[in-house]
Amino acid sequence: MEHPILFISIILEKLGLPVPHGPVGHTFLEQLCAPYMTYTWFVMAFLYFVSKLTLGSLEMVPGKGQNFWELVIGGMDDFFVSNMGRDLTDKFFPMIATFALYIVIANLIGLIPGFMSPTSSLNTTLALTLIVWLSHHFIGIREHGLRYYKHFMGPIWWLVPLLLPIEIISNFARLISLSIRLFGNIMAKETLLAILFMLAGAFFAPLPIMILGVLVSVVQAMVFVLLTVVYFSQAQEHAH
Amino acid sequence: MSDVKSEFIHLLANYGHIGFTFVGSILVGMGGGILLDQKVFDGRTAPWFTFIGLAFGIAAGYKTLLEIIWRNNKTEKKSDNED
Repeated sequence: MEHPILFISIILEKLGLPVPHGPVGHTFLEQLCAPYMTYTWFVMAFLYFVSKLTLGSLEMVPGKGQNFWELVIGGMDDFFVSNMGRDLTDKFFPMIATFALYIVIANLIGLIPGFMSPTSSLNTTLALTLIVWLSHHFIGIREHGLRYYKHFMGPIWWLVPLLLPIEIISNFARLISLSIRLFGNIMAKETLLAILFMLAGAFFAPLPIMILGVLVSVVQAMVFVLLTVVYFSQAQEHAH
Repeated sequence: MSDVKSEFIHLLANYGHIGFTFVGSILVGMGGGILLDQKVFDGRTAPWFTFIGLAFGIAAGYKTLLEIIWRNNKTEKKSDNED
């Protein structure tokens, strides 16, 4: 389900670029012009230019813009340190903080008519989840070396044949649960808004859902980030 | 961030993904079983690996459930001791 009007897609169509009308395109250019891709570029450009404009030059006495960013970055830094320690935070802060900002903005722009959330496509959330999943194994292997396999062996040796498949399955289930939750919540919000807008848009029916949508967007982004942090710290700590 | 808000997010992150992880585990287990049955053994062993995978998937679902509960009990005990 798409929003009725997506202004970037309309602009691209006027420019003569092929915009796919189904969920995915067939040629490479068509895939690049798919709405979730163009709005991903839009969110990236938004984040880049807003931070560039508000943080033109860093000063000792922060102005308005710098104050805001210091609050955001400082809050996230405290949050990560309290959950996974100083070392990991220093190494992975850029990645997780970028994910947090990107997901928040991507969730929230879906509330504005004419925009859609890139996170309401499974491709986007699965890509984010794959990066998180691979990097938590990377952390584990770098921290423990080959002894990382002990994370999947369980506490007692004679339970290994039973626990090894269970551990592997529950590890792969992280991929599904992390990606489907973000995708499902945001797609539900988008679909509900579109349906209510079509049914009773003139009577402001979507307004209460929009208020809930703000809450869902922020909370889902925070939950994604918190689970990322939890997985990272679990991969780093010693096995059982 | 205030304590109440961060606790709210912790609870949401911990308990909010129980359902998805449970379903995800079962899907992964059963999907792996079907894959083994149909692709690796060309349907000669069907339906056995599907059932074994399903059983392991359900077990993995319960395991993640127990892990979430145990982890929270541990952190609660720790914070109780600190108080």
